[in-house]
Amino acid sequence: MSAALAALLDHAAAPPGGAAPRHPAAEDAPGVLPARTDAAAPVAGYVGADVPVELLTAAWMLPVRLAGSPAEDAELGRGYLGGGLDPVACSVLTRLLDGAYGRLDALVVSRDCEASLRLFYVLRELRRVEPEVPIPPLQLVDVLHLPHRTTTRYVLAKVREFRAWLGELTGDPISDDAFAAAVAAHDRVRGLLRRVGDLRGPGQRRLTGTEALGVVRAANSLPVDRAENLLRDLLAELRTREPRTGHPIHLTGSSHDSPEVYEALEGAGLLVVGEDHDRGDLLSAHDVGAPTELAVAERYQFAGPAAPRASIRDRAAHTRAAVRDRGAEGLLSYVRRYDDAPPWDFPAQRAAVDVPSAIVERQPYGEIDPRELDRALAELRAPAEVTR
Amino acid sequence: MSAPARKDRLPSAAAATAHQREWFAELHREVAAGSPLALVNADAPQEVFRAMGIPYVVNQWWASIVAAKRRTPEHLARLRDRGYPDYTEQYSSTSLGSAFDPDPGSAPWGGLPMPSIVLAETTGDASRKIFDVWGEQPGVTFYPLESAAADSVPERWWELMPHRWEEAIGRDRIDLMTGELEGLIRFLETTTGRRFSQQRFTEVMALVNEQEEWNRRSRDLIATARPCPIAVTDGIPAVMIPQWHRGTTWARDAAKRLHDDVAERVGAGAAVCEGERARLMWIGRGLWFDLDFYRRFQERYGAVFVWSMYLAIAADGYVRYGDDPLRALAARFAAFSDQLYTPPWSAEWYVKEALAHGVHGVVHLVSDDARGSWATTRALRAAGVAVLELHADNVDARRSDPAFLDTAVGSWLETDVLPGTTS
Repeated sequence: MSAALAALLDHAAAPPGGAAPRHPAAEDAPGVLPARTDAAAPVAGYVGADVPVELLTAAWMLPVRLAGSPAEDAELGRGYLGGGLDPVACSVLTRLLDGAYGRLDALVVSRDCEASLRLFYVLRELRRVEPEVPIPPLQLVDVLHLPHRTTTRYVLAKVREFRAWLGELTGDPISDDAFAAAVAAHDRVRGLLRRVGDLRGPGQRRLTGTEALGVVRAANSLPVDRAENLLRDLLAELRTREPRTGHPIHLTGSSHDSPEVYEALEGAGLLVVGEDHDRGDLLSAHDVGAPTELAVAERYQFAGPAAPRASIRDRAAHTRAAVRDRGAEGLLSYVRRYDDAPPWDFPAQRAAVDVPSAIVERQPYGEIDPRELDRALAELRAPAEVTR
Repeated sequence: MSAPARKDRLPSAAAATAHQREWFAELHREVAAGSPLALVNADAPQEVFRAMGIPYVVNQWWASIVAAKRRTPEHLARLRDRGYPDYTEQYSSTSLGSAFDPDPGSAPWGGLPMPSIVLAETTGDASRKIFDVWGEQPGVTFYPLESAAADSVPERWWELMPHRWEEAIGRDRIDLMTGELEGLIRFLETTTGRRFSQQRFTEVMALVNEQEEWNRRSRDLIATARPCPIAVTDGIPAVMIPQWHRGTTWARDAAKRLHDDVAERVGAGAAVCEGERARLMWIGRGLWFDLDFYRRFQERYGAVFVWSMYLAIAADGYVRYGDDPLRALAARFAAFSDQLYTPPWSAEWYVKEALAHGVHGVVHLVSDDARGSWATTRALRAAGVAVLELHADNVDARRSDPAFLDTAVGSWLETDVLPGTTS
């Protein structure tokens, strides 16, 4: 394994924190944020891919996308969120309440799916009725996704609201220069992630899906300049790497915040060469471009198409293109229990592609039923020699 | 949404049900003659269609009819046959099963005519997808409306909504919904050829406010009446059928009829349950496949359901006054589901209603969906109200065996509620 890949995957497996850019005036700022005694920037935990991380970076905070953990008991969070909600949200809430993320100086929640929104409502209510529960300053960023001018106007208002909130939180309004620098830096990282993604395509296959998932996870929690440097190194090192083996598939359905399912699929002889998850290829599909609030608003409004927020038609068209571009020979939809959107997409996705397809539904968080996996492998007509 | 026929049925409930059947038969004739038809979600702004003379069927109302006729499983099976899930948002997806009915003539009420327009807000993760599938059917167009969320909200929204809705909901959300409605109107003008008259729309909005004011008076009468004067299974159709026809003089008058029925019964000291021992609140959607459920507990235990969200949300959730009727309509729906499902709005409202009605206990229907029940249950218990969380689905009887429901509620009444009441 290359050094850069090892560093990225090590970071993906580690808790948030670590080296980060230092706000030059942090110790002197009269803002709400507590004074820090170490050399790290304040940490902003965020939920969902619709949070404009550019603004967090521009506020001299370290954006860390929060992930759940299927191996940990999530009963505490389930008690608040109910048994019918995506278990990822229950896990994230449990970990927040348990302090598993370490110190968070802010908590930002997007509305990328219903579970994230419900998580926000519970956190807001907990702050109201159980003020002794330590929850950091909390903000919802309500990015919506219909492709209409009216939606753009609304999302722009939410972006401006978020920028103003961050300025009040840090005691230091975000400058236009810091904003422009953050937009450019995150765009560069997205561009590098796209180039890494290309190396999963036909004739390349330079990294497994599990590894790609880890790279994205690291990019979601590293300081942007550190992520950029590691991704550049990774691209250089991958050029000489031998292709990974396995039956190439495009993975759709639920998003994955941990590697267990990817590992199970690839352990069974598949190779995930692309996915339409915001913890995968979708994260880097769109750039901001111009350093303006409107550009940020449009970038996040038109991001995706993610299963919970995009139309069936858009999802099917995207799937068709992604399968073709990566040379996938099968389409697998993996759907986690209580993740309600993906199974509605599948009939149209199946009809849109000209490769074998399969769906496994209502799977436990972080797992795939072995019998369902066997059935899916048969439907995908994965070569017998690479199946278990 | 028809309760079992009884000799003591509330006249306004019987009249509403009869009207609905006649209206639906007429609808079949209109659509056969070429009229456009809309299928709209319950929490979508139907008043635009009313003002333009475009008939509409409310998605969840139709689902309740199908459930009351115990036909939901076959509807869901049709979705499954086409590769769609039969286990998400069944209340919203049942009507879609009607679109795939090979023999609609044998369906309840002669079947759901195929709509030409479907309207829904993009709430939840599956709701929008269900309407996407509708939009793929020949001759059907899906018009999606945004559903925005607020970072902060007031606790006592019911005091602000009639006149100070801008303050309660926030300008950004109302601006968004107003823009969405302007687009909807233009879309309907273009595709149906029907006109949108501002004068007619203003009349519709005024009629709705009148109707809901009658509902408010009815709710307040029931809250203070001892014993409970009407059955919840009468109250629901007497409120909701006119609600689906709101903006008409018939609906306004039907709400007044309900009020007059309630007032007459209160004046006469009439009781749904002789020897009323406990007053109960039902939180959640109606248990459409088992409407007799509510009565069983008054017969066995003297426990009367005095409250459902249908009359209460009609009383508190719809009234919007203001000089700009389109903006007022946006304010009616920009936060509609928040009133019922988003804390602190929902939680504080349920507590207010529980206390106003003097209930001894709350049965809280908790479905496997994303609406979250913790805040509501917590708030009620913090206010000293006993709560039973009943885990079931309101239309999908496959998960809600009557014996289970009866045992769960009966045991709770015996142990948590009745010992604290005076018989």
